[in-house]
Amino acid sequence: MTDVHTYDIDNKIMWCPGCGNFGMLQAMKRALAELGLEQHQFSIVWGIGQHGNGADFIKVQGFHALHGRALPTATGLALTNPDLRIIVQSGDGDGYGLGMGHFVHGVRRNIDIAYIAHNNQIYGLTTGQASPTSNQGMRTPSTPHGVLEWGVDGVAIAIAQGATFVARGFAGDIEQMTDLFKQAIQWKGFALVDVFQPCVVFNKENTFSWYKARAYKVEDEPDYNPTDRMWALAKAEETLHIRNDDPPEQSRIPVGVLYREEGRPTYQDGLPQLAEGPLWKRSAQPRDVTPFVEAFL
Amino acid sequence: MASPKRAEGPNYPYGPEVRIKIGGEAGMGIKAAGQSLARAFANAGLHTFDVTEYPSLIRGGHNVYYLRVSEQPIFSQVKPVDILVALNQETVDKHLAEVVDGGAVLYDPGKVDWDSTPGHERVVGLDVPWEDIAKEVSGKKIMANTVALGAALGAACFPVEYLTDSLDTQFRRKSPEIAEQNMACARRGYEATSARCKDFPFTINPVKDAPRRMICDGNEAVGLGALAGGITFYAAYPMTPASPLLHFFAARDEKAGMVVKHTEDELAAMNMVVGAAFGGARAMCASAGGGFALMVEAFGLAGVSESAVVVGVFSRTAPGTGLPTWTEQADLRFVMHAAPSEFPRVIISPGDREDAYRLGWQAFNLADQLQTPVVILSEQYLQESRASVEPFDSSEVTIDRGKLIAEGDVNDHAEALHDGVYHRYEPSEDGVSWRALPGVRNANMIVNSYEHDHYGNAEETADNRSTQHDKRMRKLELARELVPAPQRYGPEQADLSIVCFGATKGPVREAMKWLEGEGVSVNLLQLVTCWPFPADEVNAFLDAARTSLVIEGNYAGQLEGLIRQQCLRDVDHSMRRYDGRPFFPEDIFDTVRELVPVREAVAR
Repeated sequence: MTDVHTYDIDNKIMWCPGCGNFGMLQAMKRALAELGLEQHQFSIVWGIGQHGNGADFIKVQGFHALHGRALPTATGLALTNPDLRIIVQSGDGDGYGLGMGHFVHGVRRNIDIAYIAHNNQIYGLTTGQASPTSNQGMRTPSTPHGVLEWGVDGVAIAIAQGATFVARGFAGDIEQMTDLFKQAIQWKGFALVDVFQPCVVFNKENTFSWYKARAYKVEDEPDYNPTDRMWALAKAEETLHIRNDDPPEQSRIPVGVLYREEGRPTYQDGLPQLAEGPLWKRSAQPRDVTPFVEAFL
Repeated sequence: MASPKRAEGPNYPYGPEVRIKIGGEAGMGIKAAGQSLARAFANAGLHTFDVTEYPSLIRGGHNVYYLRVSEQPIFSQVKPVDILVALNQETVDKHLAEVVDGGAVLYDPGKVDWDSTPGHERVVGLDVPWEDIAKEVSGKKIMANTVALGAALGAACFPVEYLTDSLDTQFRRKSPEIAEQNMACARRGYEATSARCKDFPFTINPVKDAPRRMICDGNEAVGLGALAGGITFYAAYPMTPASPLLHFFAARDEKAGMVVKHTEDELAAMNMVVGAAFGGARAMCASAGGGFALMVEAFGLAGVSESAVVVGVFSRTAPGTGLPTWTEQADLRFVMHAAPSEFPRVIISPGDREDAYRLGWQAFNLADQLQTPVVILSEQYLQESRASVEPFDSSEVTIDRGKLIAEGDVNDHAEALHDGVYHRYEPSEDGVSWRALPGVRNANMIVNSYEHDHYGNAEETADNRSTQHDKRMRKLELARELVPAPQRYGPEQADLSIVCFGATKGPVREAMKWLEGEGVSVNLLQLVTCWPFPADEVNAFLDAARTSLVIEGNYAGQLEGLIRQQCLRDVDHSMRRYDGRPFFPEDIFDTVRELVPVREAVAR
């Protein structure tokens, strides 16, 4: 039996009070517990950032990888052990900056991984520089005149690139996040949950109340249709070019499942080599090279 | 025009051999044609060495295929050419000077203006209208190459049946008609020259009852070795000269039960390999030095996370894009020092295809036993040149996965527990901790890129850092006991002692054979493991040396510097090359001949 305490670990949590990561950690534990996943049935791979410090705050069989590289590390694991559910935890700087190349390719290969983006629109670990998702105009120590670029919208990119499950969460709503995480973990294929979360210390603009005033549940919309890719893209567009000083009614943020496409084969589905389980089983004995040598004789 | 000599020449008879060069434009199918010729000779029990020189272009550049065939074992290419097959005028213009006096140049009179070619008088020109013959026999100009191959065999007085048999095998399955046409083309080419070559000096015969040999290049040898060693995951981004290894594995993935991934970049390849190793796969990636440069951060990750990974670094002329299709031995220091800070690594370097096969499987044992990255350092020259070798088999292959718990419950393994709890990074005497895979019950852990405590959680205390750093670095001592020893060739006592690493071994061994014929004795120490450095063996070898020479393919003397640093001694002489070309035995021969008389004069 799993419950939310199954994954508790006796380490002091070193996040700032009010950090959105608390809610995300709680939601992840609840999702895992409600899915009944014991530690040996899944693995979590983190990138580097404040989100990544979460590797020390949960008892799992995990890997704290390099900045921006959690996805390829997790992909290597996913391609060699089909028995594990694989979860990536990444950040906005981590996953959409350094890791953007891997992100796009992870989406297009529909690798069977749940990808959770901790998106606080700022670099927390390195003390408050602009992140790839910082909104245009935001002033930070690395952009004192304001960010000139549009923010990266991982949700829109994922839908455009053909992702099969795309959701947006808000760290202030643990109930909904738990539900989104559960769906993503169970999803066969690449499942993105991009979660907006406040950084109470370094992001004084995208605060809890800033998000709260803008987030709305997308499934309550009368035209909600998450199987329609063009509808989903239009919803994602709503957050593509927000400025922080836009009034709330002109910068609404849809949260919930934006897009879902059932039935697309995963990358792993194309690999009959994985049918017999984890690949380590094939390395117990030397492989006979005789059949491979034939071609060279 | 100066005439090239067969350097080992008539004075040093090691049995008959013949050297054939085929030149033409990229896209003419020179490599494929040449390789069927090599197969024909190998099927006749002869030893072969062949190499294709090509620019980094798919069409239009000048391509050369070179094949050396001998009754005796051979170790490298040599400079002179006995038979030049010129598919265009450029080949004659560029390579006629390499043809020995009395050698043969085969050309299509429709393509080459022979009579106006300066210097043609000292060789035998054999005009064979292979395009016309091909069109006549098959209606296809494309089979002109096959006519030319037949003509080359005719020139060497070598039975054409070996070629027609090899063509039959090659084409029969695709189309019996094409097989027949190719065979007919070969016969017609043969007939065009054989009658005119009765007095040609460079002929060769099949060897009776010779063992069947395989022909492979370094990439294939590494690949076969890795297959024997149980590789189950390979990830790479294409880059010459490592791309053929990606193709090799990709073509065999389902048959071998392994996963092969062409990744979005080299960073992904290396990080995926680390992830695959975390899952317990025997995992490898490979690239040229430039691609490895992109892998370096994750190479360090493998070090600190104690991941059992194998990385192929196959050097080409660099830095930057460099000379993509040419060779170099200038990445030794790079792989030794790649990634920030310190962690234990093993660098092993094959000198020939047999080494490459053996190291291909041994690398995985070392990685598992040490739980740290193992580099197979090779170079374009070895990876892309081919030779006939005794067929590889798995009879000597062993699998040692080290301290691995792959399934079940970690609590059933008292040796892996600390106060009843599994610790991934528990310090141990030899530095290696028990590695439980994800999926093993109760094996909770964080495999970590941060410095970490015994469990794997990030930990910044000074004591912990020292403990974990010491633990990792201790693995180098264990590595010394496990890594392959240097290989020695030649007599115990010699006039001159050579130290080298990598594929420079081939040309050195070739030159040693010739020097022996001159009465000059040379011995060789080939480093197989470059790191941890085999200082004791190198010291013992140099202690016994009368005169020492380090031969390496770089400007700075990377190996020589390493000998100074690790053995606290100098060597007497250096021979270096960094122009993209491999060493030639002729140049080594000349260098040694210059050095040895000097020593004798001093001694007297």
